[in-house]
Amino acid sequence: MIKAEAANLIYEDHGREVFACRDIDLEVGENEFVGILGPSGSGKSSLLYLLSGLKNPTSGSVSFEGKRYTSLSDVSRSNLRIRTFGFVFQQPFLLGYLTAFENVLLIDPNAANARQRAMDLLESVGLSDKAHRMPAELSGGEKQRICVARALFAQPRAVFADEPTASLDHASGEAVIRLLQQRRGGSLLVVTHDPSMLTGADRVLHMEDGALVQR
Amino acid sequence: MRNPGKTGPLAGVIMLAVLLIAGIVTVMNSIPLSIETVYGFSRYLTGVSTRGDAAELPALEEHFKNSPINIERQVRCRTSIFNVKSIVGPWPFVMYGLRDQDVPYIVEKFELGALSGRLPVAGEPEAAITSQIAINLELEIGDAVLKPTDDRSYSPSEVKVVGIFESDEWLAFSSYGYLAVNHFPPIDVFLLFARDQLEQRKLDAWAEESLKGRRAVVFTYPSLQRDTADTFRTLFKILNVVVGLLVVVIAIMMAMLVNIYLTQRIVEFGLLQAIGVTKSKLMWRAIKEVTLVVVLGWLLGAALVYTLLSIIKAQLMDPRAFALNPVDPLSYSYTLSVPVVILLAAAFTVWYRFKVFDPIAVVERRVV
Repeated sequence: MIKAEAANLIYEDHGREVFACRDIDLEVGENEFVGILGPSGSGKSSLLYLLSGLKNPTSGSVSFEGKRYTSLSDVSRSNLRIRTFGFVFQQPFLLGYLTAFENVLLIDPNAANARQRAMDLLESVGLSDKAHRMPAELSGGEKQRICVARALFAQPRAVFADEPTASLDHASGEAVIRLLQQRRGGSLLVVTHDPSMLTGADRVLHMEDGALVQR
Repeated sequence: MRNPGKTGPLAGVIMLAVLLIAGIVTVMNSIPLSIETVYGFSRYLTGVSTRGDAAELPALEEHFKNSPINIERQVRCRTSIFNVKSIVGPWPFVMYGLRDQDVPYIVEKFELGALSGRLPVAGEPEAAITSQIAINLELEIGDAVLKPTDDRSYSPSEVKVVGIFESDEWLAFSSYGYLAVNHFPPIDVFLLFARDQLEQRKLDAWAEESLKGRRAVVFTYPSLQRDTADTFRTLFKILNVVVGLLVVVIAIMMAMLVNIYLTQRIVEFGLLQAIGVTKSKLMWRAIKEVTLVVVLGWLLGAALVYTLLSIIKAQLMDPRAFALNPVDPLSYSYTLSVPVVILLAAAFTVWYRFKVFDPIAVVERRVV
């Protein structure tokens, strides 16, 4: 479904080339749960951005269902991200002036049954009683669960989670991963530096210095 | 609207800018407005006199017979000058000396309201004034409007107010006999009246044109308007420069504020772009929000201007019969440049910010 072929991502740092991702060959199948492990700075997040189309590879290619991201316009890629993918980031980014419910609706408030679906998702992440609270009134774990609900709102074919447990205590982190696993309707890619979060993964990949390594 | 902490300062600055500009223009514009209000009586008449030679008067009278406009009434009177108060100091005002038989016509023509007191007696040092002059000079019946001790409102005897007409017009008259004996110049003035305002303007134009180059002086409402416009042309040019500079300063400040406003919301825009909202949608959204804030700020500013100017008018101007228009269209039109320039500055800022914006930097928390 998602395929990277000889993909490189190179940054320019004071005139020096730095490989964030090096020669990545990877295929993620339908409904597969893939974990990506590695130390800080190993290029895990960069790989996630490549696979989700947030970044273009410097060389090589990344595609979704055979369509290369680089062949898509900015608008088509944005549409792919909002309709087909879901995202959970390291920090629980919520819009502070919207309620928890409105933050879940943010993806597409005009979709059919949008309000009912948002409420169902809040219920499934255990926060239906806090649907009308503002983010400032929620704990870090609760905020991240709202982000999970938001990521799942469009019933995405793939969810990309970049260190979703990093800012949470262990129990809250496990709860978030469990929710992502249970509620996903498609593939799940989770980047983390904590192996205990990937116990249910179909496959765990290891990264070092921008490259995927065998363990 | 859901984000008052961020939109409030923007709207507040626009409100203050509108208040500042409209306030300055309205107060400036109150001077020509006062001139047209105080001397507004000239709308009703065409004044003609000789240039210092009473012997010319019969020739003028003969000339009026050639008028293509029907002269409804020709009043021959005397005049004297006294001072009224304005926001820029004393202004000269005319005291007409009328014959008894002309007074009822004048009262009717100027649509003067109820009279408190009585009309001046022929030959006596007495005057009738309208309520606007009474308010302006704080005069009551029995007070002197002209005095031997007042250089600017002089008469050899104290000319006392014996009647006050309720009216928005400014008008003062004494008797022909008193002014003829006691006041300079010893030359009559003709007041020519047409049937209505339309005819009066035609009569004005005919008198000005036909008496050009002759030893006669013509007083008309259009000439008052022209003179006022000429006088204030330079002032308003300076005002344009000042307002222009003000708008530039405000626009720069607003562009900076819009920049701060966008910076404060960079996480929101970064997140939305990362999850798939297109850049163009976000730009339009930001521009729409800024437009809403700017329009709202302008409307609130206009409401604030109106409220404050109405208070100033009621508390400071009306008690002295000074003119001030809280809904002066010129003042509000001057402020329109503020939202327009701010919107342009904001649109440029939004475009530039989004042009160089990287949502990854936000989700990786490199810019927050």
